[in-house]
Amino acid sequence: MKKIIFLLAIGFILSVPATSNAQLLKKLKEKASSAVNKAIDSKTGNETQENANSSSSESSSQSTSGNRPVNKGGVGLKNTAPPDVNAAMEDANKSFTANNYSDARYSVQQALMGIEIQLGHELLKSLPANVDGMDKDTTQDKVVSTQWGWNNMTIQRVYSDKKDKQCTITIGNNMLYSGLVNAYFGNAYAVESNGKDQNVKQVKVQGNKAIISYDESKGYTLIVPVGQSSMVVWECINFANEDEVMNTANAFNIDNIKKTLGEK
Amino acid sequence: MKKYSIFISILFFTLSVNAQDFSKDIADAKSSYAAGKLADAHFSLEQAIQEIDMIVGKEVLKLLPAKMNDQASVEKDDQVTANVGFVGATVHRSYGDTTGSQVEIISNSPLIASLNSFLNMPLVGGMMRNSTTKVVKIQGYKSRLEKQGDNDNGKPNYQLQIPFKSALITITANGMDENAVMSFANSIPLDKIAALIQ
Repeated sequence: MKKIIFLLAIGFILSVPATSNAQLLKKLKEKASSAVNKAIDSKTGNETQENANSSSSESSSQSTSGNRPVNKGGVGLKNTAPPDVNAAMEDANKSFTANNYSDARYSVQQALMGIEIQLGHELLKSLPANVDGMDKDTTQDKVVSTQWGWNNMTIQRVYSDKKDKQCTITIGNNMLYSGLVNAYFGNAYAVESNGKDQNVKQVKVQGNKAIISYDESKGYTLIVPVGQSSMVVWECINFANEDEVMNTANAFNIDNIKKTLGEK
Repeated sequence: MKKYSIFISILFFTLSVNAQDFSKDIADAKSSYAAGKLADAHFSLEQAIQEIDMIVGKEVLKLLPAKMNDQASVEKDDQVTANVGFVGATVHRSYGDTTGSQVEIISNSPLIASLNSFLNMPLVGGMMRNSTTKVVKIQGYKSRLEKQGDNDNGKPNYQLQIPFKSALITITANGMDENAVMSFANSIPLDKIAALIQ
Protein backbone atom coordinates (compact mmCIF):
# COMPACT_ATOMS: atom_id res chain seq x y z
CA MET A 1 0.00 0.00 0.00
CA LYS A 2 2.79 2.38 0.97
CA LYS A 3 4.59 1.57 -2.27
CA ILE A 4 1.50 2.27 -4.34
CA ILE A 5 1.04 5.66 -2.68
CA PHE A 6 4.70 6.43 -3.26
CA LEU A 7 4.50 5.47 -6.93
CA LEU A 8 1.32 7.51 -7.40
CA ALA A 9 3.04 10.52 -5.83
CA ILE A 10 6.09 10.17 -8.09
CA GLY A 11 3.80 9.83 -11.12
CA PHE A 12 1.91 12.94 -10.10
CA ILE A 13 5.08 14.93 -9.51
CA LEU A 14 6.51 13.89 -12.89
CA SER A 15 3.28 14.55 -14.76
CA VAL A 16 3.03 18.17 -13.59
CA PRO A 17 6.26 19.48 -15.09
CA ALA A 18 5.83 17.33 -18.23
CA THR A 19 3.59 19.91 -19.89
CA SER A 20 5.94 22.75 -19.00
CA ASN A 21 8.86 20.68 -20.32
CA ALA A 22 7.07 20.31 -23.63
CA GLN A 23 6.61 24.06 -23.81
CA LEU A 24 10.24 24.62 -22.99
CA LEU A 25 11.36 22.21 -25.71
CA LYS A 26 9.11 23.95 -28.21
CA LYS A 27 10.61 27.32 -27.32
CA LEU A 28 14.14 25.93 -27.59
CA LYS A 29 13.32 24.50 -30.99
CA GLU A 30 12.00 27.86 -32.18
CA LYS A 31 15.10 29.66 -30.88
CA ALA A 32 17.43 27.16 -32.55
CA SER A 33 15.67 27.38 -35.91
CA SER A 34 15.62 31.18 -35.80
CA ALA A 35 19.36 31.19 -35.01
CA VAL A 36 20.05 28.85 -37.94
CA ASN A 37 17.89 30.96 -40.28
CA LYS A 38 19.74 34.07 -39.16
CA ALA A 39 23.12 32.50 -39.93
CA ILE A 40 21.97 31.35 -43.39
CA ASP A 41 20.34 34.68 -44.20
CA SER A 42 23.41 36.65 -43.24
CA LYS A 43 25.43 34.54 -45.71
CA THR A 44 22.93 34.85 -48.51
CA GLY A 45 22.37 38.56 -47.91
CA ASN A 46 18.74 38.05 -47.13
CA GLU A 47 18.91 40.04 -43.90
CA THR A 48 16.09 42.48 -44.53
CA GLN A 49 13.64 39.71 -45.15
CA GLU A 50 14.79 37.91 -42.00
CA ASN A 51 14.28 41.04 -39.91
CA ALA A 52 10.80 41.38 -41.22
CA ASN A 53 10.12 37.74 -40.37
CA SER A 54 11.51 37.99 -36.87
CA SER A 55 9.56 41.14 -36.11
CA SER A 56 6.38 39.44 -37.26
CA SER A 57 7.12 36.39 -35.09
CA GLU A 58 7.86 38.63 -32.12
CA SER A 59 4.59 40.43 -32.49
CA SER A 60 2.76 37.11 -32.73
CA SER A 61 4.44 35.84 -29.57
CA GLN A 62 3.51 39.09 -27.80
CA SER A 63 -0.08 38.70 -28.83
CA THR A 64 -0.21 35.15 -27.38
CA SER A 65 1.29 36.19 -24.04
CA GLY A 66 -0.93 39.27 -24.11
CA ASN A 67 -3.91 37.08 -23.27
CA ARG A 68 -2.67 36.82 -19.72
CA PRO A 69 -2.74 40.25 -18.06
CA VAL A 70 0.45 41.43 -16.44
CA ASN A 71 0.34 43.63 -13.35
CA LYS A 72 1.74 47.03 -14.32
CA GLY A 73 1.46 48.73 -10.99
CA GLY A 74 -0.74 49.72 -8.08
CA VAL A 75 -0.32 51.77 -4.97
CA GLY A 76 0.50 48.70 -2.87
CA LEU A 77 -0.56 48.29 0.71
CA LYS A 78 -1.12 51.18 3.06
CA ASN A 79 1.26 51.40 5.96
CA THR A 80 -1.01 50.82 8.94
CA ALA A 81 -0.15 52.46 12.22
CA PRO A 82 1.30 50.13 14.85
CA PRO A 83 -1.23 48.93 17.43
CA ASP A 84 -2.33 51.56 19.94
CA VAL A 85 -0.60 50.37 23.09
CA ASN A 86 -2.84 52.16 25.61
CA ALA A 87 -6.05 51.00 23.92
CA ALA A 88 -4.73 47.43 23.69
CA MET A 89 -3.89 47.43 27.41
CA GLU A 90 -7.38 48.75 28.24
CA ASP A 91 -8.93 46.00 26.09
CA ALA A 92 -6.76 43.40 27.79
CA ASN A 93 -7.95 44.54 31.21
CA LYS A 94 -11.60 44.50 30.14
CA SER A 95 -11.37 41.04 28.55
CA PHE A 96 -9.52 39.70 31.58
CA THR A 97 -12.18 40.93 34.02
CA ALA A 98 -14.81 39.30 31.80
CA ASN A 99 -12.83 36.03 32.04
CA ASN A 100 -12.29 36.17 28.27
CA TYR A 101 -8.66 35.04 28.46
CA SER A 102 -8.16 34.39 24.75
CA ASP A 103 -9.05 37.99 23.87
CA ALA A 104 -7.02 39.32 26.81
CA ARG A 105 -3.97 37.45 25.54
CA TYR A 106 -4.49 38.79 22.03
CA SER A 107 -4.74 42.38 23.31
CA VAL A 108 -1.57 42.04 25.38
CA GLN A 109 0.21 40.69 22.30
CA GLN A 110 -1.00 43.71 20.30
CA ALA A 111 0.34 46.01 23.01
CA LEU A 112 3.67 44.15 22.94
CA MET A 113 3.89 44.55 19.18
CA GLY A 114 3.11 48.25 19.43
CA ILE A 115 5.87 48.72 22.01
CA GLU A 116 8.40 46.74 19.98
CA ILE A 117 7.71 48.77 16.86
CA GLN A 118 8.08 52.03 18.81
CA LEU A 119 11.30 50.75 20.35
CA GLY A 120 12.58 49.88 16.89
CA HIS A 121 11.82 53.32 15.50
CA GLU A 122 13.49 54.97 18.50
CA LEU A 123 16.59 52.87 17.93
CA LEU A 124 16.66 53.65 14.22
CA LYS A 125 16.45 57.37 15.02
CA SER A 126 19.43 57.07 17.37
CA LEU A 127 21.69 55.44 14.75
CA PRO A 128 24.18 57.68 12.90
CA ALA A 129 23.19 59.21 9.54
CA ASN A 130 26.42 58.17 7.86
CA VAL A 131 29.36 55.91 8.65
CA ASP A 132 32.69 55.48 6.92
CA GLY A 133 31.61 57.48 3.84
CA MET A 134 28.34 55.57 3.52
CA ASP A 135 24.93 57.21 3.88
CA LYS A 136 21.91 55.59 5.46
CA ASP A 137 19.40 54.15 3.04
CA THR A 138 16.13 54.71 4.88
CA THR A 139 14.15 52.86 2.21
CA GLN A 140 15.61 49.67 3.61
CA ASP A 141 14.90 50.46 7.29
CA LYS A 142 13.03 47.59 8.85
CA VAL A 143 11.37 47.06 12.20
CA VAL A 144 9.98 43.56 12.44
CA SER A 145 8.00 42.41 15.41
CA THR A 146 6.25 39.09 15.62
CA GLN A 147 3.70 38.16 18.21
CA TRP A 148 6.07 35.68 19.82
CA GLY A 149 7.71 38.05 22.26
CA TRP A 150 11.30 39.28 22.23
CA ASN A 151 12.63 36.38 20.25
CA ASN A 152 11.84 37.62 16.82
CA MET A 153 12.18 41.34 17.07
CA THR A 154 14.56 42.65 14.46
CA ILE A 155 15.65 46.16 13.58
CA GLN A 156 17.61 46.67 10.39
CA ARG A 157 19.37 49.63 8.80
CA VAL A 158 21.43 49.65 5.62
CA TYR A 159 24.32 52.03 4.85
CA SER A 160 25.65 52.24 1.32
CA ASP A 161 28.08 54.33 -0.74
CA LYS A 162 25.69 53.90 -3.72
CA LYS A 163 28.34 51.79 -5.47
CA ASP A 164 29.29 48.39 -4.16
CA LYS A 165 30.21 49.04 -0.54
CA GLN A 166 27.42 48.28 1.89
CA CYS A 167 26.93 47.70 5.59
CA THR A 168 23.78 46.20 7.07
CA ILE A 169 23.29 46.53 10.81
CA THR A 170 20.75 44.27 12.48
CA ILE A 171 19.73 44.69 16.10
CA GLY A 172 17.66 42.14 17.94
CA ASN A 173 17.54 38.48 18.61
CA ASN A 174 19.12 37.18 15.45
CA MET A 175 18.36 33.48 15.30
CA LEU A 176 20.62 33.01 12.30
CA TYR A 177 23.75 33.90 14.21
CA SER A 178 22.95 32.84 17.75
CA GLY A 179 24.19 29.31 17.03
CA LEU A 180 27.51 30.61 15.76
CA VAL A 181 27.93 32.94 18.73
CA ASN A 182 27.17 30.22 21.25
CA ALA A 183 29.45 27.74 19.51
CA TYR A 184 32.24 30.27 19.49
CA PHE A 185 32.04 31.48 23.06
CA GLY A 186 31.38 27.93 24.19
CA ASN A 187 34.55 26.44 22.75
CA ALA A 188 36.72 29.16 21.30
CA TYR A 189 39.82 27.05 20.82
CA ALA A 190 38.10 24.77 18.32
CA VAL A 191 37.54 27.60 15.92
CA GLU A 192 40.74 29.57 16.40
CA SER A 193 43.29 26.92 15.58
CA ASN A 194 42.16 25.96 12.14
CA GLY A 195 45.35 26.41 10.17
CA LYS A 196 47.06 29.52 8.84
CA ASP A 197 44.04 31.71 8.06
CA GLN A 198 41.66 32.73 10.77
CA ASN A 199 38.17 33.08 9.41
CA VAL A 200 36.62 33.72 12.80
CA LYS A 201 38.16 35.46 15.76
CA GLN A 202 37.29 37.20 18.97
CA VAL A 203 37.51 40.99 19.26
CA LYS A 204 36.18 43.72 21.53
CA VAL A 205 33.88 46.53 20.45
CA GLN A 206 33.53 49.36 22.99
CA GLY A 207 34.43 46.94 25.75
CA ASN A 208 31.94 44.28 24.60
CA LYS A 209 33.10 40.81 23.62
CA ALA A 210 32.46 40.21 19.95
CA ILE A 211 33.35 37.89 17.12
CA ILE A 212 34.33 38.86 13.62
CA SER A 213 34.26 36.49 10.68
CA TYR A 214 35.27 36.72 7.04
CA ASP A 215 33.80 34.82 4.17
CA GLU A 216 34.90 35.22 0.55
CA SER A 217 31.33 35.49 -0.71
CA LYS A 218 29.68 37.32 2.20
CA GLY A 219 32.43 39.70 3.29
CA TYR A 220 32.93 40.62 6.95
CA THR A 221 30.41 39.86 9.68
CA LEU A 222 30.82 41.35 13.14
CA ILE A 223 28.59 40.10 15.94
CA VAL A 224 28.29 41.74 19.35
CA PRO A 225 26.06 39.89 21.82
CA VAL A 226 24.22 42.48 23.92
CA GLY A 227 22.86 41.60 27.34
CA GLN A 228 21.04 38.33 27.83
CA SER A 229 19.36 37.64 24.53
CA SER A 230 19.99 40.30 21.91
CA MET A 231 22.83 40.91 19.53
CA VAL A 232 24.03 43.55 17.11
CA VAL A 233 25.27 42.27 13.77
CA TRP A 234 27.14 44.22 11.10
CA GLU A 235 27.33 42.60 7.68
CA CYS A 236 29.93 44.46 5.68
CA ILE A 237 30.29 43.90 1.95
CA ASN A 238 33.35 45.12 0.01
CA PHE A 239 35.21 46.45 3.03
CA ALA A 240 38.99 46.60 2.51
CA ASN A 241 40.03 45.13 5.86
CA GLU A 242 38.86 44.40 9.38
CA ASP A 243 40.00 47.84 10.63
CA GLU A 244 37.37 49.43 8.41
CA VAL A 245 34.77 47.12 9.90
CA MET A 246 35.84 48.01 13.44
CA ASN A 247 35.77 51.75 12.66
CA THR A 248 32.27 51.38 11.30
CA ALA A 249 31.12 49.48 14.37
CA ASN A 250 32.64 52.07 16.68
CA ALA A 251 30.51 54.76 15.06
CA PHE A 252 27.52 53.17 16.81
CA ASN A 253 26.78 53.71 20.49
CA ILE A 254 26.34 50.18 21.82
CA ASP A 255 25.58 51.38 25.35
CA ASN A 256 22.67 53.40 24.01
CA ILE A 257 21.38 50.35 22.09
CA LYS A 258 21.60 48.29 25.28
CA LYS A 259 19.78 50.98 27.26
CA THR A 260 16.97 51.24 24.71
CA LEU A 261 16.50 47.47 24.62
CA GLY A 262 16.52 47.34 28.42
CA GLU A 263 19.50 44.98 28.42
CA LYS A 264 22.34 45.02 30.93
CA MET B 1 13.06 9.80 44.07
CA LYS B 2 14.77 12.51 46.09
CA LYS B 3 15.79 14.24 42.90
CA TYR B 4 12.27 13.96 41.64
CA SER B 5 10.79 15.55 44.75
CA ILE B 6 13.36 18.37 44.60
CA PHE B 7 12.35 18.98 40.98
CA ILE B 8 8.67 19.02 41.92
CA SER B 9 9.27 21.45 44.77
CA ILE B 10 11.30 23.74 42.51
CA LEU B 11 8.49 23.56 39.99
CA PHE B 12 5.89 24.51 42.57
CA PHE B 13 8.10 27.33 43.77
CA THR B 14 8.41 28.59 40.20
CA LEU B 15 4.67 28.34 39.71
CA SER B 16 3.99 30.34 42.82
CA VAL B 17 6.56 32.95 41.77
CA ASN B 18 4.98 33.15 38.30
CA ALA B 19 1.48 33.48 39.65
CA GLN B 20 1.45 37.25 39.64
CA ASP B 21 -1.44 39.53 39.42
CA PHE B 22 -2.43 40.30 35.86
CA SER B 23 -3.95 43.66 36.70
CA LYS B 24 -0.78 44.71 38.50
CA ASP B 25 1.30 43.77 35.47
CA ILE B 26 -0.93 45.80 33.18
CA ALA B 27 -0.86 48.75 35.61
CA ASP B 28 2.96 48.55 35.71
CA ALA B 29 3.08 48.37 31.92
CA LYS B 30 0.84 51.42 31.66
CA SER B 31 2.89 53.53 34.04
CA SER B 32 6.19 52.48 32.40
CA TYR B 33 4.74 53.24 28.97
CA ALA B 34 3.49 56.64 30.09
CA ALA B 35 6.98 57.39 31.46
CA GLY B 36 8.52 56.39 28.12
CA LYS B 37 10.25 53.32 29.60
CA LEU B 38 9.41 51.04 26.70
CA ALA B 39 11.66 48.13 27.70
CA ASP B 40 10.11 48.04 31.18
CA ALA B 41 6.60 48.19 29.73
CA HIS B 42 7.56 45.31 27.42
CA PHE B 43 8.74 43.24 30.37
CA SER B 44 5.54 43.86 32.35
CA LEU B 45 3.39 42.85 29.37
CA GLU B 46 5.37 39.64 28.97
CA GLN B 47 4.65 38.91 32.61
CA ALA B 48 0.97 39.59 31.96
CA ILE B 49 0.94 37.09 29.08
CA GLN B 50 2.57 34.46 31.27
CA GLU B 51 -0.06 35.15 33.92
CA ILE B 52 -2.84 34.61 31.37
CA ASP B 53 -1.19 31.39 30.17
CA MET B 54 -1.02 30.09 33.73
CA ILE B 55 -4.69 30.89 34.38
CA VAL B 56 -5.76 29.39 31.04
CA GLY B 57 -3.71 26.28 31.77
CA LYS B 58 -5.42 25.84 35.14
CA GLU B 59 -8.84 26.34 33.52
CA VAL B 60 -7.98 23.70 30.91
CA LEU B 61 -6.95 21.27 33.65
CA LYS B 62 -10.39 21.74 35.24
CA LEU B 63 -12.00 20.71 31.93
CA LEU B 64 -9.99 17.49 31.53
CA PRO B 65 -11.81 14.29 32.60
CA ALA B 66 -10.96 12.86 36.02
CA LYS B 67 -10.49 9.35 34.59
CA MET B 68 -9.03 7.83 31.46
CA ASN B 69 -10.87 4.54 31.07
CA ASP B 70 -10.10 2.92 34.46
CA GLN B 71 -7.05 5.06 35.16
CA ALA B 72 -7.60 7.92 37.61
CA SER B 73 -5.89 11.28 37.12
CA VAL B 74 -2.80 11.95 39.23
CA GLU B 75 -3.41 15.44 40.54
CA LYS B 76 0.02 15.94 42.03
CA ASP B 77 1.47 15.61 38.52
CA ASP B 78 -0.75 18.33 37.06
CA GLN B 79 1.49 20.89 35.51
CA VAL B 80 1.10 24.23 33.73
CA THR B 81 4.08 25.99 32.22
CA ALA B 82 4.02 29.42 30.63
CA ASN B 83 6.76 30.47 28.26
CA VAL B 84 7.07 33.55 26.13
CA GLY B 85 8.67 32.60 22.88
CA PHE B 86 8.84 29.52 20.78
CA VAL B 87 7.72 26.83 23.17
CA GLY B 88 4.39 28.33 24.07
CA ALA B 89 2.37 27.27 27.08
CA THR B 90 2.03 23.64 28.11
CA VAL B 91 -0.58 21.83 30.18
CA HIS B 92 0.09 18.33 31.46
CA ARG B 93 -2.05 15.74 33.26
CA SER B 94 -1.08 12.15 34.06
CA TYR B 95 -3.47 9.21 34.43
CA GLY B 96 -2.72 6.09 36.43
CA ASP B 97 0.31 6.07 38.76
CA THR B 98 2.62 3.95 36.65
CA THR B 99 0.88 3.62 33.31
CA GLY B 100 2.51 6.56 31.57
CA SER B 101 -0.90 7.65 30.23
CA GLN B 102 -1.18 11.40 29.92
CA VAL B 103 -2.71 14.38 28.17
CA GLU B 104 -0.34 17.07 27.02
CA ILE B 105 -1.45 20.35 25.47
CA ILE B 106 0.96 22.79 23.87
CA SER B 107 -0.59 26.10 22.88
CA ASN B 108 0.41 29.36 21.26
CA SER B 109 3.56 27.99 19.76
CA PRO B 110 4.71 28.83 16.22
CA LEU B 111 6.64 25.56 16.20
CA ILE B 112 3.38 23.72 16.71
CA ALA B 113 1.79 25.71 13.89
CA SER B 114 4.41 24.38 11.47
CA LEU B 115 4.20 20.89 12.98
CA ASN B 116 0.46 20.94 12.39
CA SER B 117 0.81 21.82 8.73
CA PHE B 118 3.31 18.97 8.53
CA LEU B 119 0.81 16.62 10.17
CA ASN B 120 -1.76 17.60 7.58
CA MET B 121 0.44 16.52 4.65
CA PRO B 122 -0.58 12.90 4.13
CA LEU B 123 2.54 11.63 2.36
CA VAL B 124 5.10 13.36 4.50
CA GLY B 125 4.17 11.55 7.63
CA GLY B 126 1.04 12.87 9.14
CA MET B 127 -2.52 12.17 8.22
CA MET B 128 -2.10 8.81 6.50
CA ARG B 129 -3.06 5.25 7.15
CA ASN B 130 -0.74 2.31 7.49
CA SER B 131 -0.53 -0.69 9.78
CA THR B 132 -0.02 1.42 12.92
CA THR B 133 -1.44 4.85 12.06
CA LYS B 134 -4.84 6.07 11.00
CA VAL B 135 -6.79 9.28 10.76
CA VAL B 136 -9.82 9.59 12.98
CA LYS B 137 -12.31 12.35 13.69
CA ILE B 138 -12.74 13.43 17.29
CA GLN B 139 -15.73 15.76 17.71
CA GLY B 140 -15.16 16.97 14.14
CA TYR B 141 -11.43 17.54 14.54
CA LYS B 142 -9.22 15.50 12.20
CA SER B 143 -6.72 13.65 14.37
CA ARG B 144 -3.95 11.09 14.05
CA LEU B 145 -4.16 7.82 16.03
CA GLU B 146 -1.02 5.74 16.30
CA LYS B 147 -0.60 2.34 17.94
CA GLN B 148 2.64 2.26 19.88
CA GLY B 149 3.26 -1.36 20.73
CA ASP B 150 1.98 -3.11 23.85
CA ASN B 151 2.54 -2.51 27.56
CA ASP B 152 3.97 -5.07 30.01
CA ASN B 153 0.57 -6.76 30.36
CA GLY B 154 0.27 -7.22 26.61
CA LYS B 155 -2.37 -4.50 26.25
CA PRO B 156 -1.97 -1.94 23.45
CA ASN B 157 -0.59 1.57 23.85
CA TYR B 158 -1.96 4.42 21.74
CA GLN B 159 -1.07 8.01 20.98
CA LEU B 160 -3.66 10.40 19.62
CA GLN B 161 -2.67 13.81 18.24
CA ILE B 162 -5.29 16.49 17.74
CA PRO B 163 -3.85 19.58 16.02
CA PHE B 164 -5.44 23.03 16.25
CA LYS B 165 -4.07 26.20 14.66
CA SER B 166 -1.12 26.88 16.91
CA ALA B 167 -1.90 24.24 19.53
CA LEU B 168 -1.56 20.50 19.74
CA ILE B 169 -3.30 18.06 22.08
CA THR B 170 -1.43 14.79 22.52
CA ILE B 171 -3.14 11.96 24.36
CA THR B 172 -0.98 9.01 25.37
CA ALA B 173 -3.28 6.16 26.36
CA ASN B 174 -1.43 3.07 27.52
CA GLY B 175 -2.93 -0.33 28.25
CA MET B 176 -6.34 0.09 26.64
CA ASP B 177 -8.03 -0.74 23.37
CA GLU B 178 -8.88 1.65 20.56
CA ASN B 179 -12.52 2.06 21.58
CA ALA B 180 -11.49 3.13 25.08
CA VAL B 181 -9.06 5.70 23.64
CA MET B 182 -11.74 7.08 21.34
CA SER B 183 -14.37 7.28 24.06
CA PHE B 184 -11.88 9.07 26.36
CA ALA B 185 -10.97 11.52 23.59
CA ASN B 186 -14.65 12.17 22.93
CA SER B 187 -15.22 12.88 26.60
CA ILE B 188 -12.79 15.85 26.50
CA PRO B 189 -14.69 19.11 25.85
CA LEU B 190 -12.49 20.05 22.89
CA ASP B 191 -14.56 23.07 21.80
CA LYS B 192 -14.28 24.64 25.26
CA ILE B 193 -10.53 23.96 25.39
CA ALA B 194 -10.11 25.36 21.86
CA ALA B 195 -11.96 28.54 22.87
CA LEU B 196 -9.60 28.96 25.84
CA ILE B 197 -6.26 28.24 24.19
CA GLN B 198 -6.66 29.77 20.75
